[in-house]
Amino acid sequence: MAVDISDEDLLARYPGYAIDHDTRARYRGWLEHVMLFDRCATCATWHEPPGPICPTCWSTDIEPTPIAGTGTIHLAITLRQGPPVEGVDYSTPYPVVVVELDEQPDLRMSGTVVGADNSEIVIGRRVHLDWALRRGAPFPVFRLDDQHGADQPGASS
Amino acid sequence: MSVSSRNPAKDQVAIAAAATTGFTATNTDRSQLSYAVQACVAALRAAGLTAADVDGIIGSSAPTAPELQGALGIPVVTYFANPPIPFVNQLSTAVAAVHSGLCNVALVYHASYRLPWNTGSAWKDPFRRGGLAGGASAGIPESVFGSVGYTAWASRYLYEFGGTKEDFGLVAINDRSNAAGNPGAAMREPLTMEGYLAARMIRDPLCMLDMDVAVDGGDAFVVTTTERARDMPLKPVLINAVTLGMTGKPSETQTPSLREHGQQVVVESLKARGDFWIDDCDVYFPYDGFTIITLNWFENAGYCGPGEAGDFLRQHWDHATNRVLIDGRVPVNPHGGSLSEGASQGSGHFREAVHQLQGLAGERQVAGAQRAIVTAGGFFFNAQGATLRTDG
Repeated sequence: MAVDISDEDLLARYPGYAIDHDTRARYRGWLEHVMLFDRCATCATWHEPPGPICPTCWSTDIEPTPIAGTGTIHLAITLRQGPPVEGVDYSTPYPVVVVELDEQPDLRMSGTVVGADNSEIVIGRRVHLDWALRRGAPFPVFRLDDQHGADQPGASS
Repeated sequence: MSVSSRNPAKDQVAIAAAATTGFTATNTDRSQLSYAVQACVAALRAAGLTAADVDGIIGSSAPTAPELQGALGIPVVTYFANPPIPFVNQLSTAVAAVHSGLCNVALVYHASYRLPWNTGSAWKDPFRRGGLAGGASAGIPESVFGSVGYTAWASRYLYEFGGTKEDFGLVAINDRSNAAGNPGAAMREPLTMEGYLAARMIRDPLCMLDMDVAVDGGDAFVVTTTERARDMPLKPVLINAVTLGMTGKPSETQTPSLREHGQQVVVESLKARGDFWIDDCDVYFPYDGFTIITLNWFENAGYCGPGEAGDFLRQHWDHATNRVLIDGRVPVNPHGGSLSEGASQGSGHFREAVHQLQGLAGERQVAGAQRAIVTAGGFFFNAQGATLRTDG
């Protein structure tokens, strides 16, 4: 399984990401297309970002737990410029959204949206998780629910 | 919301002097340290002090206090600190240090400097390339930190309240009109709404003129006991209340809503700890690192309701001077703010507040100004503010 790779190798697969002892499970999950959020095993609350203790009940029994990957766009912008990254061409404004996940109110994650016109990527739209590749490493993206485009995710493989 | 009203430092600590270098929106051929020391020397001279009078040094992260102490040859300090920006972190640390006796005369500074985190143009200067800072995850387009985070919540503001880009534009135009009267401001050419709307879009819905302008320059302050400040040459500016504010989900993505973040905490804290609020304010300084922040400050301070800031600005617009005059009386960021004077991370707002209350603001002077409110910082982890007043 991909999750067997060392911390050193995990950092090398995801350069620039804030990976440490609290967040490494998430990125190991990415390698096998599993999106993990921390959930407290004691009080069942989800929390973000991943951390060493549950902010609700202070239990340290935290379980990185798969999310369904469904939610609603809460914030939506497009970037006309940004960090130079393989597969991202800002000459077409690059959409970035923050999605409110169905697991819990105010539990959110950011990402891009693939397979849709920017004019359709608006607050309130339902989305679901998909995966793309960057520098050969999987990362999460969103697709609009009522779009069935057969195109590949925006990042190159 | 439950905030304490305990404020034993109220009016006990004062700003005795403030000084600036002025600001430049290009990579100047000078070091960040050079701006800090220039502003510090000017502030100390304005207060009638020498290096030997200083026993505390408090500034933002660069230059460090040891670097500044060495550069100015300050013989002895008993306290120093370099808390992060924005500037109320420095000011509140100085109040705590002076009031508790850690030091008696604090030299407080912030040097603004064009670096890769605030302008891509900084890369052209090889000496500036080391100053790379950014969000928790750097170089990732899908990360919503800093500038991107404010843009994202601007999208939410428009969605929830049905506002328009013109609402944002009024903030930019007010600052620019004010900057015309400030020789130290980086951007002083008049700005029209047409010009604002035509500005280059950076991240929809925010354009170039919704974001503060990266500058080189510095501000410095002398902070001491009110008692001692009364013996110095300039009128003391008393720190009536000062606070930071943060809520339990202090991040760009997890902040619950535009009506539940650090700004509301700041407002409640200043009202609880201080002696006056907007009805008795002669000059108002809402932070304007991004126009969306300013609109939220007006709403959270209580000038108007959520989503109403654009209409509020239109109702209080002074067409003769093309800027806001609340109730025809109270100017807003009369120095030009971060959008037009330059991105000083709040130090410019405080310096101008001090000069207004000391009667030193030149052609920008608000006649008889006695009370100022500064609400600095943004939403997530750096909302902060202070109420300032003259002595007696």
